[in-house]
Amino acid sequence: MLKIDGAMGEGGGQVLRTSLTLSLVTGTPFEIEGIRANRSRPGLLRQHLTAVEAAAAVGGAVVEGAELRSSSLRFAPKGLRAGEYHFAVGTAGSAGLVFQTVMPALLKASGPSRLVLEGGTHNPSAPPFEFLASAYAPLVRRLGGGLELELERPGFYPAGGGRFVARITPPAGGELRPLALLERGGEVEEREACALVAHLPRSIGEREARKLVDLLGWPGGEVRVEEAESSAGPGNCVWIRAKWPYVTEVFSGFGEKGVKAEDVAKAAVDAYRHYLSVDAPVGVHMTDQLMLLLALAGAGRFRSLPPSLHARTNAEVISRFLPVDVRFEAEEGPGRVWSVRVVSREA
Amino acid sequence: MPRRKLVMIGLPGTRLDNGQGPLRWEKWRPTVALGQHEDLRIDRFELLHLPKHQELAEHLQDDLRLVSPETEVRLHAVHYGDPWDFEGVYEALHTFARAYPFDTDHEDYLVHITTGTHVAQICMFLLTEARFFPARLLQASPPERSQHVGPGDYRIIDLDLSRYDRLASRFAQDTQEARSFLKAGIETRNERFNRLIEQIERVAIASRAPILLTGPTGAGKTHLARRIFELKKSRRQVSGDYVEVNCATLRGDAAMSALFGHRKGAFTGAISDRPGLLRAADKGLLFLDEIGELGLDEQAMLLRAIESGVFLPVGSDKEVHSEFQLIAGTNRDLRAEVVKGRFREDLLARIDLWTFELPGLRDRLEDIEPNLRYELDHYARKNDSLVTFNKEARHRFIKRATAPDAAWRGNFRDLNAAITRMATLAQGGRITPEVVDEEFERLQRAWRRDADTPTAQADALLVRLIGQVAADHLDRFDRVQLADVITVCRASNTLSDAGRALFAVSRTQKTSSNDADRLRKYLSRFNILWESIKSLE
Repeated sequence: MLKIDGAMGEGGGQVLRTSLTLSLVTGTPFEIEGIRANRSRPGLLRQHLTAVEAAAAVGGAVVEGAELRSSSLRFAPKGLRAGEYHFAVGTAGSAGLVFQTVMPALLKASGPSRLVLEGGTHNPSAPPFEFLASAYAPLVRRLGGGLELELERPGFYPAGGGRFVARITPPAGGELRPLALLERGGEVEEREACALVAHLPRSIGEREARKLVDLLGWPGGEVRVEEAESSAGPGNCVWIRAKWPYVTEVFSGFGEKGVKAEDVAKAAVDAYRHYLSVDAPVGVHMTDQLMLLLALAGAGRFRSLPPSLHARTNAEVISRFLPVDVRFEAEEGPGRVWSVRVVSREA
Repeated sequence: MPRRKLVMIGLPGTRLDNGQGPLRWEKWRPTVALGQHEDLRIDRFELLHLPKHQELAEHLQDDLRLVSPETEVRLHAVHYGDPWDFEGVYEALHTFARAYPFDTDHEDYLVHITTGTHVAQICMFLLTEARFFPARLLQASPPERSQHVGPGDYRIIDLDLSRYDRLASRFAQDTQEARSFLKAGIETRNERFNRLIEQIERVAIASRAPILLTGPTGAGKTHLARRIFELKKSRRQVSGDYVEVNCATLRGDAAMSALFGHRKGAFTGAISDRPGLLRAADKGLLFLDEIGELGLDEQAMLLRAIESGVFLPVGSDKEVHSEFQLIAGTNRDLRAEVVKGRFREDLLARIDLWTFELPGLRDRLEDIEPNLRYELDHYARKNDSLVTFNKEARHRFIKRATAPDAAWRGNFRDLNAAITRMATLAQGGRITPEVVDEEFERLQRAWRRDADTPTAQADALLVRLIGQVAADHLDRFDRVQLADVITVCRASNTLSDAGRALFAVSRTQKTSSNDADRLRKYLSRFNILWESIKSLE
């Protein structure tokens, strides 16, 4: 049984989630200790427990230690099962993170799957739904997997209750294709910015939209206000989507009590500008997910913004489960561009 | 191995949990917040609500499902009329608890005590403490100001572990409040007394056996007997009346007749049937105060009445039935009375199964203040005029009332009388330090007068001889000695007799002695003449 140290690297929930994903994919049972050791409330919290249970359902796994605040867990999958699944995350926790835990594994299953995910879809602690749908899903499709995402209703903190459906189809032939993503591929082809408001005064969205127009200098037609009537509770999120020939990225800011609407818009714009300041196609959040997909494909390469500790930790977990290494190299020159390569240790 | 399920049992807070529209999510709603803790996963939530709060409960059910899809929320309508009525609420929650299929092998239970009326919270606490809910308690608190959103905090308290200090002390207080029924709402602080009341409450509710209340005069036996009756009545354990008699007032034939009744013509003066007190107390409560004063014949009859529920009225050949709860009061040591042949051993055995000794006021000095408040309220209600102490006067009163020389011989009766007098004398409804001082002069005099111990009698004699002021200027050391000397002098015919009695031991060791002279010198130190002792009326 593979032993994973939950305290490695950034020592948070991602070590667990990546381990679950890779255990499902490889069929390797693992034992993790020191779960979320570096967090103020270590151990399994509800959203992690839901991720464990989701993974166990998908992989028919035998699980020990799946208790709240448990710092260790044993997970032994018996076999992937494609099919229909419904996972609900409490406390308006990110449904997207649970989705990302099981999705790559279901790409390796014997047939298509349909997931219904409930909980938070626009949660400050994870990329919003638009990131999954517009940035992540197209890359999965580039690798040969089928992934369609559909938002039924957004879910914000604290009420939650968001819901989206994911349709996953394994790649033809069963294997993902390696990918090299080195450039954005030219100029922006499509772009939009949206101030999403749910059960809050529209004026909040309008102020955000004005600020977006002001900061981005985009024509008004590319910036809109959307009122999410279907949301269960109140919430506010600003996102910016920009599509280049080879890549689409999404940047966001979240409304919170005590934070000015203009500052929410500015946070999204800051993230967008930070991305633009480096001449690389893969942003911070995408790095984690893309290296995992490439590891499943067996090889690949991309250029990214400087990798976070999060990314390096993820790379370490990947190399424990799969015969691949993820190598980070800062490119020469003043551009702060990094090269990330997934290489097989067997070759 | 399947995970143990966590089940929450709680009541909606009609104020705290209420909230409409999107803004409700900015408000801390304790019941919903329970579903929002990252480290608390509730598998099932049993929400107990009044029928009239159905809408609120459904609303909470919906919101809980949003924030906690892992939780199955079940609604239970519980019926109690007045949410502030202790009896009704307890009864309804108790009924729920008794009917609930607790499965402690597979499930863990938490009782949420942050919401519901204060009364409901106390009831939930008591039911958990009594293990009707085999649960731990959960108390929630709102997020701190700086966090402004979020589920706040919660604490789980396992009463079995007795590690629930702060909360427990709060609830202990609340429980006391519930039990304060017996204390007439006086928040007594004396721990021994409070424990005693707690026991009496339990016994009174659980048992129909006789209860014996002992303790000095004025300790509150009569008062307590009446409260026990009212408690039992409120719990529908008695349907009859409260009947009270002081046995010291029953003498001779009249005693028999008063207690057990008589037939018309049973004796001279028995001009009609009289049912008697035991009969009057049928299905009720009979309080026999100073039961030690009861004659032996009456004791025999009473024993039979307690044991079999029947007795024979005077002059009747037909037994009468009466079912009553007996409470007996005494300030005597009944065991000593048994030894002297004045009290039946079998009757004592029958009535002292539950003996509670009420402490006198001197043993409950910390209760003077709460009783003071009670007595003032009582006075205000009775006389429809509000009387208060000024701050200094209250302080003075407490200080003097708890001083070593405050004998409180009549216990709470004295306290009651003192308050009544001060309230009556208070000008403009304000009791001043002067009024307090005057009252204590009165009390001190009364205590000395009433004193029945030889020491106290001797002291009273001393005061009569030299006056209160001079007596108060004596050291205790001298005062006791002088009082005894004077007592001996009073009982002696001559100064020499008195000297011989007082120096009986030392004089045997001396060749010659002049006890009379020694005594005269001693008395003269206090400016007392032999003649004045003898001429004292």
